[in-house]
Amino acid sequence: MMKQQFARPVSVIGTSSLPQRSFDDPKMAGLSPYELWADACHQAMDDAHVKPKDIDKVVYSQFANFITMGGVMAPVGSLEEWAGLAGKPITHIEQACAGGYIAFTEAVNSVASGQYDIVLVAGLENPKHFNSRNQPAYKLKPIKEYDNGWWSPGRVLFDTAYTRFDGVSDNLLTEEQGKHYIKHYGITEGELDDTYNSMAMNLRYNASHNPRALMHERYEDMAKKAGYDDPLEYMRSEHNPKITQYIRKSGSVLHNMEAGAIVVCSADIAKKYSDHPIQVIDDATVSNTTRYPFNFHQMNVDVRDNLYKKHPGIKGSDFDLMITTVMTSGEQLDSAEVFGYLPEGEGYKYELEGKTRFDAEKPINPHGGDISFGHGFGCAGVCMLGEAILQMRGEAGGSQVPKPVNKCLVRGMGGGHTTVGIILEDQN
Amino acid sequence: MYPLRPILKTYYDSLEDGKVLGMKCQDCGKVVWPPLPTCQDCGSYNLDWIEMGDEAIIDEIRFEDSSVGGDYTFRKADEFFTEKDPYCVSVGHWPNGSHQFHAALYGVTEENKDDLIAKLPLKAKVHLIQLNGGFKSVGFELEDVEAK
Repeated sequence: MMKQQFARPVSVIGTSSLPQRSFDDPKMAGLSPYELWADACHQAMDDAHVKPKDIDKVVYSQFANFITMGGVMAPVGSLEEWAGLAGKPITHIEQACAGGYIAFTEAVNSVASGQYDIVLVAGLENPKHFNSRNQPAYKLKPIKEYDNGWWSPGRVLFDTAYTRFDGVSDNLLTEEQGKHYIKHYGITEGELDDTYNSMAMNLRYNASHNPRALMHERYEDMAKKAGYDDPLEYMRSEHNPKITQYIRKSGSVLHNMEAGAIVVCSADIAKKYSDHPIQVIDDATVSNTTRYPFNFHQMNVDVRDNLYKKHPGIKGSDFDLMITTVMTSGEQLDSAEVFGYLPEGEGYKYELEGKTRFDAEKPINPHGGDISFGHGFGCAGVCMLGEAILQMRGEAGGSQVPKPVNKCLVRGMGGGHTTVGIILEDQN
Repeated sequence: MYPLRPILKTYYDSLEDGKVLGMKCQDCGKVVWPPLPTCQDCGSYNLDWIEMGDEAIIDEIRFEDSSVGGDYTFRKADEFFTEKDPYCVSVGHWPNGSHQFHAALYGVTEENKDDLIAKLPLKAKVHLIQLNGGFKSVGFELEDVEAK
């Protein structure tokens, strides 16, 4: 068993498992983000067998609320009311798409410090719709109609001192991992393209088995419908256009509505609430700026070093599962190799051969990843961690990894400026 | 004592005069560009202004098709440029700098990119880009292409 690196050990005792949603879906008519928030919070509390009165503190992540939720800043009080938590201490984390992971670490540290026993970490995000300031929250409109013009979630991540990308496109950030891979491991651009396309098919295969994922139709079936015998040929075609030099449409993040919640508590009381608590072993976080080349890759290196140095002898191959942010294709391949989950310079073969599927040798993102499961900005980390918890408890459903998932590495990234690594272990 | 002084205003005012400024650490000698009041290597705040010159070394050319829009996640960074001349993305460094940077690079086309990439690294002149917010930004331009 791994040694927990906290002054006071911490366990996860509950998680939500809401499906990914879109307010474009007629089934969502009449709902607002507030109902989904309440749903996620109560689901996690029910799962942990606690009531709102048992929660000592809330840590919540959301970053686009000022745009998408009526122009409100940090709606902490009202969100607490909706979940029956009014009057509790609450911390709002806004750290782009890393916010959910950071919120989790903050919740863990709140317990580890000894100040709180049971903490709810929750996220909420509605990337593709908004409600105006002069209308209630269920009066949702497509984000394209936002009064102040079209806003770009890619662009708002960068501050206006020097990092507003004066001449460097948003694409570059995600392209660099492909550049780095080709440069260091000698594969061709065509091989990288096939790797990314295979990765997209692998993740969609996973999502097709996961009822909580947003996308379920496999690319192989889409290829057949379009008259292609070879799915890779379909993936290389105009049906799947390139949106950058390397990244195709199938390899780009899928934004959608998300609400999620997790309950953590002091490990010494965890069994009182859950018969299958999951232990939080450690976490590490780094932030940097996008002004420097290969920043995405470097953040992975820095988090790995900070995380692994406290666990002598640990190797990425020790983990039974890796869950990692995949805003675009390059991120999954780079992070899996940097953390040693896949062998350096060989990871592309695992994608080409389908070995990263949930039921294969080295499963990555069995839920489908951000490009097929879905991605809700500041909530994404909470939902990714929730999927990790379900996997470790053997409760992930159709996309359950068919082997014990005792050690899980969760790696998240947001904003091009923050990367997080979290180690979870089932020590039951 | 930390010397409180305008960093951004000095930098952008200087660009209006055609000069690109960075800051040099007086303790360890490292140079930071764009300028920051704290050394990124040793942490000292004992930094002074330094002129970066009018020429940099381009290490990598990353030709991108600027017509590729993708979805709204990806935006071209020339949204605020007053001139929409085609450019590509590059990685370079200043002769007196301490680290690489990303920058816009003019003078690369579909036709000449392979030839230019084969000649890297290349010298490139500073090309100040006018932005519609009323300030300039630093890009680079390959003029008489000369291998370094």
